[in-house]
Amino acid sequence: MQELDKVKLELGKIPWFQELQIKHLDMIAGITQLKQAHAGETLFRESDKEDFIYIVLEGRVALDMFVPPRGKVRFYTAERWEVFGWSSVTPSVRQRTAGATAVTETFLAAVEAAKLRELCDQDHTLGYLVMRRLANVVASRLLITRLQLLDMFSSPEENNAK
Amino acid sequence: MIEQTLKHSTTSHTSGLLEPVWAEIVSITPEAEGISTFWIRFTDPAVAATYSFQPGQFNMVYIPGYGEAAISISSSSEDSALIGHTIRFVGNVTRAISRLKVGDVIGIRGPFGSAWPIREMEGHDVIIACGGVGLPPLRPVIYYIMNHREKFGKVYLLYGARTPSDLIFPKEYASWEEANIQVHVTVDRADEDWQGQVGVVPMLFYRFRMDAPNSLVLTCGPEIMIRFVVYEGLARRVQPENIYVSLERNMKCGQGSCGHCQLGPYFICKDGPVFRFDALQPYFNVEEF
Repeated sequence: MQELDKVKLELGKIPWFQELQIKHLDMIAGITQLKQAHAGETLFRESDKEDFIYIVLEGRVALDMFVPPRGKVRFYTAERWEVFGWSSVTPSVRQRTAGATAVTETFLAAVEAAKLRELCDQDHTLGYLVMRRLANVVASRLLITRLQLLDMFSSPEENNAK
Repeated sequence: MIEQTLKHSTTSHTSGLLEPVWAEIVSITPEAEGISTFWIRFTDPAVAATYSFQPGQFNMVYIPGYGEAAISISSSSEDSALIGHTIRFVGNVTRAISRLKVGDVIGIRGPFGSAWPIREMEGHDVIIACGGVGLPPLRPVIYYIMNHREKFGKVYLLYGARTPSDLIFPKEYASWEEANIQVHVTVDRADEDWQGQVGVVPMLFYRFRMDAPNSLVLTCGPEIMIRFVVYEGLARRVQPENIYVSLERNMKCGQGSCGHCQLGPYFICKDGPVFRFDALQPYFNVEEF
């Protein structure tokens, strides 16, 4: 099977891609590479200029930040069909704001972010669908971050002291 | 609505409700930092022979000189030979409990409160969503499902804790999975050694496909977590009457007399701790409550 057909096949399995018109799926497939990462392999590091937006097709990817002196702190894992590296789609983010490491054997779709931005500029219907989806991703990530900030499992003395 | 909630109130026996009966600590299982399970046996064989509880109920555990604490029962409701209480040491009474040893004797009043809706769950998919020490009140449900697996549809356990070392009962997850329970575990944060998921419990709803009309959601844990678990359930069109929450407030008497645990028209100790969400909904997330 040709590489492009393989990409289309894999993208077509992702639920939100099923909303896309064929021509839009073809456009995204044209700027997407399939990648495999072994457990422990670094996909990118904080401050890297690497410019892909990723979708996990199989496996698990950990997002982390290096916090002296604690070392790498994992704050999120992306699972099947989840997007990460999405900030590279925004025009203002110039470098990676976190690192990404494959936790298990992982299979990914890597979409070229600059070209995706161009496609969205050229075809606003596609642009709307992509940005609506990314807004969902950002909103869920924001909620998760809020709940983590609240440190839900802390302060039992205040609430549960007996 | 009160009637709907009270339908699950299951306090059934009268001895040991007003005055404590005595029980010996038979063993202590450390579960995580500051959390242990105390396994007890009633010293009076007559009490031991008649004591029974339903999943979700709690006992008032009494330490002479310190007082009482409401503690959920974390062992199997179908095996009352030893009763398990998984306790986080966070207050005067529970800290006093943490200093007890095997062979020491404690007072028990109970069981009190409403139970998880075992009968209503039969024939349905069940999503158990819990965090931290919200798992112990649900472990009897897990045991019940394992013992009667054919009565239930798909079963999912969504469980989270602060860090990997805060997860409790980790050695049991494999046996739960062997009983065809899908176990999804997450932690709020971790280091590089952790191979599991990182994130929060409500996010675990993104990670499986739910048959919402055929599903019941049971949840217990920090109230903020419960709130977002409920939102995720409702967002997937689980009906409010199919969502059950177990609340923990400042329970003192265990009988709805003292008012310490009041929430709107309810006393958590007597009408709860397990509530059907539609009964609780008008008072849920009301800041004054």
